[in-house]
This record gives sequence, structure tokens and C-alpha cells, in this order.
Amino acid sequence: MSIIDIIRRGKKLKLFIFIGIPMIYLLIFFFIPFLIAFLYSLGMFKQVVYQYVFVPEPSLEYYSGLMKFPGIFKSIQRSFYYASLTTLGTFLISYPLTYYIGVKLEEKYRDLAVLIIFTPFWINFLLRVYAMRFILHEAGMINLILRLIGIISEPIKFLGTDTAVIIVMIYSYLIFMVLPLYGVLEKLDVELLEAAATLGATPFKAFIKITLPLSLPGILAGSLLVFIPAVGEFVIPELVGGPNTTTLGTIIYSFFLRVRGVTGWGIGSAAALIYIVLILVASYVYMKFVGGEVRLG
Amino acid sequence: MKLVDKLLKIYTFGILGLIYVPIVVLIVFSFNESKSKVVFTGFTLENYYRLVGNFRVWESFYNSIWIGVVVTVVSVLLAILMAYGITRYEFRGKTIIDSLVLVPIIIPEIVEALTLLVFLVILGIDLSPYTIIIGHVAFDVSFAYVVIKARMVGYDPQYEEAARTLGADELRAFTKVTLPILAPGIIAASLIAFLESYDDFIKTFFTRPAGFMTLPVYIWNMASRRGFPLDLNALATFVVALALIFAYIRNRVGKGVYL
Repeated sequence: MSIIDIIRRGKKLKLFIFIGIPMIYLLIFFFIPFLIAFLYSLGMFKQVVYQYVFVPEPSLEYYSGLMKFPGIFKSIQRSFYYASLTTLGTFLISYPLTYYIGVKLEEKYRDLAVLIIFTPFWINFLLRVYAMRFILHEAGMINLILRLIGIISEPIKFLGTDTAVIIVMIYSYLIFMVLPLYGVLEKLDVELLEAAATLGATPFKAFIKITLPLSLPGILAGSLLVFIPAVGEFVIPELVGGPNTTTLGTIIYSFFLRVRGVTGWGIGSAAALIYIVLILVASYVYMKFVGGEVRLG
Repeated sequence: MKLVDKLLKIYTFGILGLIYVPIVVLIVFSFNESKSKVVFTGFTLENYYRLVGNFRVWESFYNSIWIGVVVTVVSVLLAILMAYGITRYEFRGKTIIDSLVLVPIIIPEIVEALTLLVFLVILGIDLSPYTIIIGHVAFDVSFAYVVIKARMVGYDPQYEEAARTLGADELRAFTKVTLPILAPGIIAASLIAFLESYDDFIKTFFTRPAGFMTLPVYIWNMASRRGFPLDLNALATFVVALALIFAYIRNRVGKGVYL
């Protein structure tokens, strides 16, 4: 065996340790389960006594079962409605915020400001949702304040409505929009804006022509980070919503953990697969759309 | 434009304050004598006595912590291997592998959770705390990888080569030179990995054995009963104190890593 062979073999062994071990882990516990769940949703695993056997006859039984589920289309539509408003809401709230922190605020205070935004998100997510439910209640703080300033005379029943779900979703997902936006705005070269001003651009025009296009990657990343999980959200509609706030997420959840059994899981897996496909299509269309806008500008 | 800046400033401070309001309200009313959510009728520590005496809460908390620690150690080790391999070696399919590692970050957690559950059940593997750990590691590797690789890319391999020239073998060069330089990245990655596991609800909920609870699962069980158990308000005080400690540590060791 030549020396080169030994070195080559050494490299292969190292590659196996460094790349192989983590990839095998992800393959077994992440990618293969996807494939299995896909086959499961096609009815290709049948339960025989306590074991599952593979039956190579795909059927769309679970998919049609899902389509026959009352209100399924309304729920999918609602999931996208919630996710879109959450994405828009988090964007509108965090853009001015991150712009101020990343561009206007003195550099020495920036880390502190980011830490202040960050800290509440280290409190358990479920506890934050519970806190929102506490203040959104009919006899809660928000209703009290609205009544004191005279906007309403009767308490509003927020809990159980779309409004409550969307408010809590915006609150919970805010950080996923803030971080990527801050990432691009903090790197923004202020000299570009000064150059624009010297050349006679109004601050507004400089903002439209320079700041906004340069923050586009952050906007894109932020909206995908919010939108993709928001479509499948089930904790928030379950905790602050009601019978009229079923979403794709709550449907998957109830088929899996309430209906259970082979059928429940089959339909649940089918719903998850449909979720992934819809998300991929939506993200693709969105990126095409935003990308197209950049070229126009 | 001065006016716009001023408005922006007021707005920013307003939002920074507002995001704390729900939690502060929750904590304030944990000391309330009555069940009112708006009127403070009198100071009491009763909810805290109940919380301290509640064995289930502390058991769940203990489970969250030990699972979080195991998950962090395993996923950070895997991420170090991966980040080192990707930044130090050239091989075919490198870009594909680099992006495959990131897939778990993008895939919605509920889908990850149910595919893992189906997989485990079809293989006939009984659900246990270890199945929860397996699930958490699968997404934490990706988070830790992003952070450690960022640190790795910014570091000059010449230090390592210098160590090799001076007679250190690859392992020694790695432990004596590369690891200390990577340390801040590893600490930041560990914090993120721990928090992701500690706060995880969905994947835990799907892959836990019956009756086994972590802190988020416990909170879910209490909160999904539609009432307003004031023990939860008291628990919030405890959890917020923990979050402040995390924030402090994070500020000391992991500057510049936001994930």
C-alpha cells in the first residue's frame, strides 16, 4: 500500500467522523421519519396485532378522509389568514423599531436594546401565551383600560375570537421578525444615506431608494421565519381561541393526539404533508414576488 | 426629520415597555388575595406556598433541566464535528450537506414532531424520556451548527497549521488551539441549544411517554383547562427570574450571536 493510499484512507475516516456521524444522526432521526410518515399517510403501513407491516399498495384513503372532514377548507384558509396577518403585523411593528435601534441609536446602547427585546422570549412560550390570555380576558386589564378611556362601554369578549389569536400570534412571533431585520439594518452603511442627502435626495426618498431595498434580505428572512411556523400554529388557537379558530395546526393536533389510532394518525400525517406542500408553494411564490419587485426598482 | 427621529424614539421605548406588560401583570396578580385580574385587593403569598408544595411542578422542572443538559451536550458535540468537517475539508456534495443540516430549522416543528412519532411507533420503540432527547437533538444540532460554523469561518486556520508545524498532531492541535478559539461560539451555541430544548413544547408533547412532564407540558396541562390557576402566575415569577439569569449569562459570554 502506498503512502498516498494511507493518507486517502485517513481522510476518508476523518470525513466519516466529522461529517458522517452528524449526518447519519439527522438521516435516521429527521429525514427518514419524513419518508416513513409520507408512506404512512398513503396507507402503506398496516397494523397487525402489535406490529406494523409494510404494504406496498399506496392509497389516498387518508387524504380523502381529510378532505371530507367538516370545515377543513375553511380551516386551511384561516391558517393562511392568521399567518399572513401575523407576518404583516410583526413586520409593521418591528421595522421602525429595528430601524431606530440599528441605525439611529448610539452604538453602545444597541446590545442592551436587543437584550431588552430578547429577554421576554426566554420566558416559556406557553407562559407568555397564558399571560396574554390573562390580560385579554373579559375582566382583564385591556378591557379595563379600553373602558377607562371611554372607547367601549361593554367589555369585549376577545378570547375565542380571531382578534385574540392574531394579537397573541403577533406578540409571540415578533422576535423572529426583529432578529433578521436588525441583522441587516445594523450593517447598513450610514454614509450611503449621507451621500444621498448630499446629492439632494430627501430623507424620505433616500429611505425608499436605499434603506428599504438594502433591508430586503432581512424582510424576506423574517417573513419566512414568521410565516412558515405560523401557518401550523396550534398552541395559540387552542389556548386563546375557541371552536371558531380551528387551523391546520389544531386539526393535525387533534387527529394525532385526540382521535389517535391508525386512522387518526393517517389523516394527521396527510394533513402534515399537505401543510408542507402548501408552505413550499407559498414561499416559492412569495420569493418570486419579492424578487420581482427588486428587479423593477 | 428631527421630529421623525423623536417619534421613532418614543415608539421604540413604548414597544420595549409593552412587550413586558403581560408578564408584569401576571406577576403582580400572583400576589393578589382575590381572583380579580384588574383590582389588587390585598397582598398574599398563598399562591407561592401552593407552588412550593406542588411536587408535579418541581418534577417537571427537573425533567426539563436534565433533558436540556443531555440534549445540549450531544447536539453541541455533533455540531462541532460537523462545523469542523465542513470548514476544514473539501469533498463532493459539500454544499448539499451544508444546506441539509439547516433543514430542521425551516421545517415546522409540529411536522417534525409527528413524523418522529410515526417513525418511533412503526419501529416499535417505546416512548421514553430518551425519545424526547432524540427529537430535541435533531433540531438543536442545526441551531448549534449555525453558531459554531459562524465562529469557525471567521477563524484563521494558520494558527492550527502553526501548531502542526511545531510538532502537534491533529488531535492535539484541535484541542489546544482550535477548541479554545471556538470556545465563545461553543458557549453561545450551548445556551441556544439548552433554551430551545428547555422551552420546547410541541416535540416533547408528541414524543413523551404518558404521564411524563416537562415544564412546558405542565404549563399546557394547567392552562388548557380554560381557567386561570393563580399557581401559574406564581410560577411566572420563578420562570422570569430564571430568564433574567439566562439573559445575564448570555450578555456576558455570547455577545453578537443572536438566534
